[in-house]
Amino acid sequence: MSQYDHPTDPFRRRVVGASLGAAGLAALPLHSAIAQSGEIVVGAAPPITGVFAFAGVGLHQGLGDYCEWRNTKGGVAGRKLRYIGEDSGYKMDQAMSVFKKIMGANKPPVFYGDSTAWAKAAAKEVSQLGTTLTSSPSFSSDLADPKNVPYYFMAGPTYTAMGEILLEYINRTSRGASRPAVAIVYSDTEFGRDPIPGIKAKAGALQIPIVQEIVTKPGAVDVSAEVAKLRRAKPDYVIFHGYVLAPIPEFIKQMRESGMTTTPMGTIWSMDKTTVDAMGAAGQGWMGVMPYRYSYDTKDAPTMQIIKDFAAKARPNMSYVPLFYTHGWLVGMIFSEVMERCLKAGKPLTGANMKAALESIDNWDTGGVTGLLASLKGHQIASGRIYTYDANTKLLEPASGWIKTA
Amino acid sequence: MRIGDFRASYAHDESLWPTRVQRAWLGVLALALIAFPFGANGYQVSLACMLGIHVIAAAGLNIMTGYTGLISLGHAAFMGVGCYTAAWFAQRGVPFFATLPLAGATAALLGMVVGLPSLRIKGLYLAVATLATQFLVVYVFREWDSVTGGVRGVNVPNASLGGFELLNDQRMYFLIAPVAVALLVAARNLFRTRVGRAFIAIRDKDISAEVLGIHLLRYKLAAFAIGSFYAGVAGALLGYFYRAMTPEYFTLQLSIFYLAAIIVGGLGSMLGTILGAVFMTLVPELLRGVVAGIAQWAPRATEILSPVQQVVFGLLIVGFLVFEPHGLLEIWRRVRRTFHLWPFRA
Repeated sequence: MSQYDHPTDPFRRRVVGASLGAAGLAALPLHSAIAQSGEIVVGAAPPITGVFAFAGVGLHQGLGDYCEWRNTKGGVAGRKLRYIGEDSGYKMDQAMSVFKKIMGANKPPVFYGDSTAWAKAAAKEVSQLGTTLTSSPSFSSDLADPKNVPYYFMAGPTYTAMGEILLEYINRTSRGASRPAVAIVYSDTEFGRDPIPGIKAKAGALQIPIVQEIVTKPGAVDVSAEVAKLRRAKPDYVIFHGYVLAPIPEFIKQMRESGMTTTPMGTIWSMDKTTVDAMGAAGQGWMGVMPYRYSYDTKDAPTMQIIKDFAAKARPNMSYVPLFYTHGWLVGMIFSEVMERCLKAGKPLTGANMKAALESIDNWDTGGVTGLLASLKGHQIASGRIYTYDANTKLLEPASGWIKTA
Repeated sequence: MRIGDFRASYAHDESLWPTRVQRAWLGVLALALIAFPFGANGYQVSLACMLGIHVIAAAGLNIMTGYTGLISLGHAAFMGVGCYTAAWFAQRGVPFFATLPLAGATAALLGMVVGLPSLRIKGLYLAVATLATQFLVVYVFREWDSVTGGVRGVNVPNASLGGFELLNDQRMYFLIAPVAVALLVAARNLFRTRVGRAFIAIRDKDISAEVLGIHLLRYKLAAFAIGSFYAGVAGALLGYFYRAMTPEYFTLQLSIFYLAAIIVGGLGSMLGTILGAVFMTLVPELLRGVVAGIAQWAPRATEILSPVQQVVFGLLIVGFLVFEPHGLLEIWRRVRRTFHLWPFRA
């Protein structure tokens, strides 16, 4: 039998057949069992893969586990939660696609996205629909805007507020006649640039001089020229923002090698213990602002204890509960609190009702996840605490009390 | 069994769709396209809108790369130019039927500038030159605050026609689908003209083409201009579709997405463009659908299988390149031949 008798490779047929099989499986009705009466769907498009996957898995687990835990406590006003999360890949097209898919199939009253870009793109549609309250891991200052982005909130302070908390700490701890000098190093991204005008304004108000401002690529490797600039500026503190890890360790290493005693500081996404552990020796003395307690800090924080216990039971392989998980859990708490307030008042879960319920949250006890009683009037929780890393214990320890911004 | 087409005149020979069967199928397709948003759910309509945008952008790249042999890694930048142009004009009250050609024209102008080096360099060198354009243009998007909104991006007002706003995906579909169809037909027509045939001659051997009297610079610039025009229109539609856009969307990754689409689909073919765009848009959705289906019974499956689905998608692309280097188009042709020649083997 010659090759011309079978011009199509049987293997290729199998590949095509397998692909069609997968497509057929995908076409199965995905939501027929979901829309049971009484269930409340919590939709999500967390970035389980892609560049933000380091956080996305934890966010997904935290929000999903909160729904599971909440159901063991009777759900929200007697209604069970059903969490539906699909990977966004940290791509706007994919996140919007997941959003539209879950919105179309399940009509969730609450939805958790993956990024600033998603939040901005979805905002108009969400406003138009008027059915859904949204959140995401973005703390972009543009999004804490009850007027222009009415159905979005963030479970923490904006990046600008984080910068203000850092400056407030610097102001409170400064001694002597001369004011402490601060340098800002940020990535050339939307994330990196977001709080810079706010930080400058706050520094001006506190009369803290900004002696150097450096913009780098997000994962810049060679930072020697930037470190030379910092050496000349002699700042007491350097605030890094818009990074997760690189190039912060390289900056700190070179700063120390050149004899600088400057204190490096960061914001939320470079404050997880696993991230700071990865800095190695450069992590010693690293400081930064955290809106939540760390999972090992359970004293006088019953919710942190619940998180720790639930994660230990549900995820025995998880040796440490990352801040991303805590963030996801807190988002679930806020979603539930908002929906519970609406349902208990006999109001349907509409965007307007949920917005009103969200803005009614004031002096709310999060069980210690946030150190202060939380207020969501401004669609953010504008408080945090400064932590410092101890390389010996490999723990981030509180360096200040809880600080609230205006 | 069909054994061939009998063409009795030059007009018949030159016609776009020479057989009655083809015209009948196109009629069915047109009816299906019109009926689709009435029968599909919101998610499917939104996917169709994205697919339409991807098809237009990929068609532009195929004109440049597949038909003319000019490799471009700056296609996302051309799309961005179109998107920001449309946003800028739309914010000033210019209606979409004017912003779309304006967006295309602006991108085409940039395309011509970028295409200038193509007379001296080609292949990988040209790819690197267009890569530089990609980074330069995205830098401008980030820095030119007054026009692009800087890193915070821009809001794009709803497209509207006589007060009728295209404020949801179903309405946007009736803008995107006709534009996509019109541009695809135009592209197909292009390759029946002297211009289109000159593009193909340049791709096959530019020196021979020049000997034949084809002005290389003029036609290479024309290819860049037309390809960028398509990208600009796609970018404008993207802006209207999402109604907000940031520079971080128009990354190199997007340029590579379109390059992958035309390679997987089939270089130098409009049908290949469509097949490639369908593959690159819908296969990840199908894979995610499979994961979501499994997650109904095993909720923890999402976090384990989501990375796997990316691996599977990558393997599928590699598989196509290895087992069918001519792309999906060749598979389509084989399937078609099988039906035409049934019951005999293709």
